[in-house]
Amino acid sequence: MAEQIELSSPPFDSVSTVRFSPTNPSHLLVSSWDTTVRLYDVNANEQKSKFDHRAAVLTCCFSDADHAYSGGLDTSVRELDLATEKVNHLGQHGDAVSTMRHSKDQNVLITGSWDRTLRFWDPRASTPQQSSHNLPERVYQMDLVNHTLVVAMASRLFNIYDIRKMDVAAQTRESSLKFMTRALACMVDGQGFATASVEGRIAVEYFDPSPEVQEKRYAFKCHRQTIDDVDHVWPVNALAFHPIYNTFASAGSDGTVSIWDHKLKKRLRLYNKYHSAVPSIHFNCDGTKLAVGVSYNWDDGDAGNKTAERPSVFIRTVGDEVKPKGWSG
Amino acid sequence: MPPFLIALPSESLTIPDSLFPLVNTLLDMAKKKNKQVIRPWCWYCEREFEDEKVLMQHQKAKHFKCNLCPRRLNTAGGLAVHIQQVHKLEPENLPRIDNALPGRDGYEVEIFGMEGIPAPDVADYKRRKEIELGLNPGTISQPQAKRPKIDNRPLTEEELRAQLAAHKALMGAADASVVAPSAEASGAVYGAPPQAYAAPPMPAASPPMVHPLGMPPMPGFMPGMPPPPGFPGAPPFIPGMPPGPPPPGFPMPPFPGAPPPGMLPPGVPPFPPGVRPPFPPPPFVAPGIPPFTPPPGMSPVPPTPASASISPPLPPTFVAAVNPSITAASNSPPTELKLPNPTLAQTNPPFKKATDLKWSDPNFSPEEKRAIMAKYHVPKDITNQVRSEGNPVSSQPSDENRGKKRARAEDFL
Repeated sequence: MAEQIELSSPPFDSVSTVRFSPTNPSHLLVSSWDTTVRLYDVNANEQKSKFDHRAAVLTCCFSDADHAYSGGLDTSVRELDLATEKVNHLGQHGDAVSTMRHSKDQNVLITGSWDRTLRFWDPRASTPQQSSHNLPERVYQMDLVNHTLVVAMASRLFNIYDIRKMDVAAQTRESSLKFMTRALACMVDGQGFATASVEGRIAVEYFDPSPEVQEKRYAFKCHRQTIDDVDHVWPVNALAFHPIYNTFASAGSDGTVSIWDHKLKKRLRLYNKYHSAVPSIHFNCDGTKLAVGVSYNWDDGDAGNKTAERPSVFIRTVGDEVKPKGWSG
Repeated sequence: MPPFLIALPSESLTIPDSLFPLVNTLLDMAKKKNKQVIRPWCWYCEREFEDEKVLMQHQKAKHFKCNLCPRRLNTAGGLAVHIQQVHKLEPENLPRIDNALPGRDGYEVEIFGMEGIPAPDVADYKRRKEIELGLNPGTISQPQAKRPKIDNRPLTEEELRAQLAAHKALMGAADASVVAPSAEASGAVYGAPPQAYAAPPMPAASPPMVHPLGMPPMPGFMPGMPPPPGFPGAPPFIPGMPPGPPPPGFPMPPFPGAPPPGMLPPGVPPFPPGVRPPFPPPPFVAPGIPPFTPPPGMSPVPPTPASASISPPLPPTFVAAVNPSITAASNSPPTELKLPNPTLAQTNPPFKKATDLKWSDPNFSPEEKRAIMAKYHVPKDITNQVRSEGNPVSSQPSDENRGKKRARAEDFL
């Protein structure tokens, strides 16, 4: 089987988020600045359905095999019925919806926005919005593992919540990286998370606040290159943990994707460079595929957009390179 | 000595007999001098060196240097293993050998100094050396003893016919008027491997550049001979170009604008239009080519290669689809972003060494900057209207309109 395929009908403008189904390893959602969310069957390389929005879509996620949510610049939160292509408008944020996650256990949709709030939604309720939680800064990134929600905000702020007790943050932290937070992903074993900044650097952090565990956290440089004695440093746009091996992938505006073993602190693989920046990546539920959104990431503003290449979405079949050395499980 | 004088006798019969003694003397001198003319040279870039030690240093520094760390390896194979094992690149993902001529940037050939150079390339190089030095074919590339045999043997009719056909094939596209190959030309062709001249040494579309000026066909275009300097495939052996370490920014050495004397009339461009210069821009990141290949001397690499011939299809209907519906609530996009909480404003710490940080705004993300562009901006009022109506379905019609417009855009693409 080919190691990598390119989806034949990618969005027309930059990819914002790629997200695999929690149950079907071949179903992929792609949200885009072209105001659409598209559902693909990646095995058939076929676009199954498409949802048009009023403005660019920044984020999307699945809740189950047939339902997904979307949010973006038009500030509304939508439920998408993937089978019927019906859209259910759940409500509104005060500013663009930047990130969202669905919790299966709590059956709740959590959205984060540049309006400095987190909101919880129950699509079946008569008033879907369940609660709103104020934050000190704009929400950039969010990820959820079990009941632990990590929220990355502007000004390098982090809040960590237990989603069963949202009245107060379990922990508030400042980023251990010195530059704007750009990406965030939680370890699948629930021990911690990885975060990355615009300054080509990834930090590995742990939830347990005890000093001996906190001692293990570290950061390392990546997605950079020295050309003529000048360090060229690209943002790390996305992180994604492998659902089985707990290794993680990082993607940068330099167009590269790397696989890392955060326990051994080793790079396992550096994939072929893509034609443009990589704004989003995600592993599918059985860990056999990695979706890679490839498109201009606005690092050079509107000027860069004029020379940007067409967006692409690649589906990479991953092999042993995502396995930690000596994996026995 | 002027190459003009030497170049002529081997290919042209127009020299007055009275000149022959002089020419022969010169030729003899050239032969003697050029017994030791082949100096160690680098297979990757065809640069000459004083001795093999310098050559090996050059190869380490220019061709076997790892792009990802400061290490220099002794051979291409060593570099390949290093990159795979240390930097975890996939085998098919290896960067091409830096600063190499086209076609010589792979790992298949194991070169160590002068060792390992494929025999055809050695022969080819020697032949080109001969032309450059204005020597008779074979002075370097063939053992001297064998020459008379070839020259003296009468050619059979078939051989002559085959040679004529080969010669026509070579010259035909460029100049149909030149049909009668000279005896010397035949001699040069004879015994050469067929693939050496079965195909013209340059794209047939670009005729030899001397013709427009009414010059006779160039000596260098003899069948079986590679083209003279200034043509693709022939590295610029410029007489008088000093050997030694390549100049900084090596991949594009200062190629003299003036052709070698006697070879080209002044005023003729060194490269015919449509023909790539012998030193093309270094292999650069094309889609699918391994990462970290930008050679030294390149300007900062933009994250999106400028090679994009097609700008991404933008949603052309976006503004049209939105604006009509918001004329009432029209508010133009903000031209500046405001910090919601200025006390939390960030500043990027300084860098210790020269750094090109691709996203240097410490307070706003690329998406926030992008969202205020007119193309993407959506006034919040309109969505609030939808909400105040309390009727989520009211958003449907405009969404459907958009859908149709998008579909058209899709057709167009």
